Amino acid sequence: MAVTETPVTDAAQSPRMSKATHQRLIDIGVPVGTAFALLVIWQVGVRLFGVPQYIAPAPTDILGVFVSEFPLLMRNFWPTLIEAISGFFIGNMTAILIAVAFVHSRSVERAFFPIAVFINTIPILAIAPILVLIFGPGMTAKVVIAALICFFPTLVNMVRGLQSVSPQTLELARILSASKSEVFWKIRLPSSLPFLFSALKIASTTCVIGAIVGEWIGANVGLGALIIESTFNFRSPLLYATVFVSSGLSVLLFASVSIAEKLIIRW
Amino acid sequence: MKFGDFTALRDISLDIEAGEFWTILGPSGCGKSTMLRLVSDLVPPASGSVEILGKTTEAARLAREFAFVFQDATLLPWRSALKNVELPLEIGRKRGITIPTGDRTPHELLELVGLKGRENALPHELSGGMRQRVAIARALVCQPKLLLMDEPFGALDEMTRDHLNLQLLDIWKETGTTILFVTHSIPEAIFLGQKVLMLKANPGRIKEVVEIGLPFPREIALREAPDFNAYCGRLRKLLEDC
Ligand SMILES: Nc1ncnc2c1ncn2[C@@H]1O[C@H](COP(=O)(O)OP(=O)(O)OP(=O)(O)O)[C@@H](O)[C@H]1O
Ligand SMILES: [Mg+2]
Repeated sequence: MAVTETPVTDAAQSPRMSKATHQRLIDIGVPVGTAFALLVIWQVGVRLFGVPQYIAPAPTDILGVFVSEFPLLMRNFWPTLIEAISGFFIGNMTAILIAVAFVHSRSVERAFFPIAVFINTIPILAIAPILVLIFGPGMTAKVVIAALICFFPTLVNMVRGLQSVSPQTLELARILSASKSEVFWKIRLPSSLPFLFSALKIASTTCVIGAIVGEWIGANVGLGALIIESTFNFRSPLLYATVFVSSGLSVLLFASVSIAEKLIIRW
Repeated sequence: MKFGDFTALRDISLDIEAGEFWTILGPSGCGKSTMLRLVSDLVPPASGSVEILGKTTEAARLAREFAFVFQDATLLPWRSALKNVELPLEIGRKRGITIPTGDRTPHELLELVGLKGRENALPHELSGGMRQRVAIARALVCQPKLLLMDEPFGALDEMTRDHLNLQLLDIWKETGTTILFVTHSIPEAIFLGQKVLMLKANPGRIKEVVEIGLPFPREIALREAPDFNAYCGRLRKLLEDC
């Protein structure tokens, strides 16, 4: 009996094993397939209806420009990357330090939180020209805009994270007669990390938006400048290629933050 | 003991001898937790005083003479079991405070509570009972003379609870520490305690102190004994009168 049963269970298990791999293939295959199908529809549609290239270039046109203009794209990629990353660090560092000050002193929070909210209510598109006027056409204005756009979500999340310690954990700290700085370094800061990382993931994509918006307003290099230039010159394939590079930059930063999160937060 | 105008505890006068195991019973909201919080210097008394081995509660806290085990383990989720047990040794070290350390290392304490081999597990990788055992090991790391426990096994299933009750009695016997143990369970109070303190509510006062004359060491089978059931009946009656 047992001997005849063994192959039966084996047979029952192997389809289940392949079912799991099958499922993974479906998980990856379906979105990729859908994206590919949309590109095909786009390509065929554009050719079939004879849409002019300056209105909607075909995917193959965009790919062609991406290859032929690759040096140009890269020349404009680096400044935007530097601005976005600098803005990311400056904006988030400022937000973290201010959050720490808020959590340590209620009066600092009462004095400055309304100002932070007010700054956040000004649309970034409205404040960007002012910043370009103040800081000139160089990189500084773009870094400031990128920093500004990162600032508020991180501030709010970090304050919440630092306050997310349970009352019981604080009682434990009191029973151990922990000092304020020990509570901060050993309890509050680690507790805030999951909150911080969800803010950093938001910031990793918005800082690119900030840098590009800054470049729209006044710059001769950067992906934002290239977008404006190719639009005005009706170089649509180049415009589309630039847009893809921009979103590639966001994906790159988002993925970096996600990987850092996976490595740091293991609980 | 007052919270604003509300009197949570009144006229509590007790002498607990070093090395005794007291369990505390009483209806919900009668002030059992508040009593432990008074002893552990988390809240100040409105009048009167609490002394631990001749010291004020603050002095005893600074000298780490007592430790507290909460209803949930209150582990730091980013620290491994071992690192959680070591936490009390880290707090104050940089400030040059002399931290009393027991005869047992954190490793040995984890072994004592039956967690050998799980030193590097994070709290979320442990079961509720295991987490509570880590919390007990952490409480023991400074070799406290007094162990305060507020429903430490309240959230655990019957089997795990029995097992940890036996372990706690072993630890008590080995370390000779004084234990104040709050519980909702009458059998648990009788099984563990040498004395059961019964509180009544509104405001919290001492209803009665019942000496449990059952011999140690105690085994789970004791719960079937007629003496044990007699205590159960008596305490249940007292609790209903509260
Ligand atoms: N921080 C506080 N502020 C105001 N009232 C409080 C506070 N803490 C406790 N109390 C009140 O004191 C009384 C005793 O509370 P306590 O937590 O000590 O009860 P308990 O006996 O531990 O109850 P349980 O068995 O439900 O845990 C309750 O009536 C509660 O409402
Ligand atoms: Mg309670």
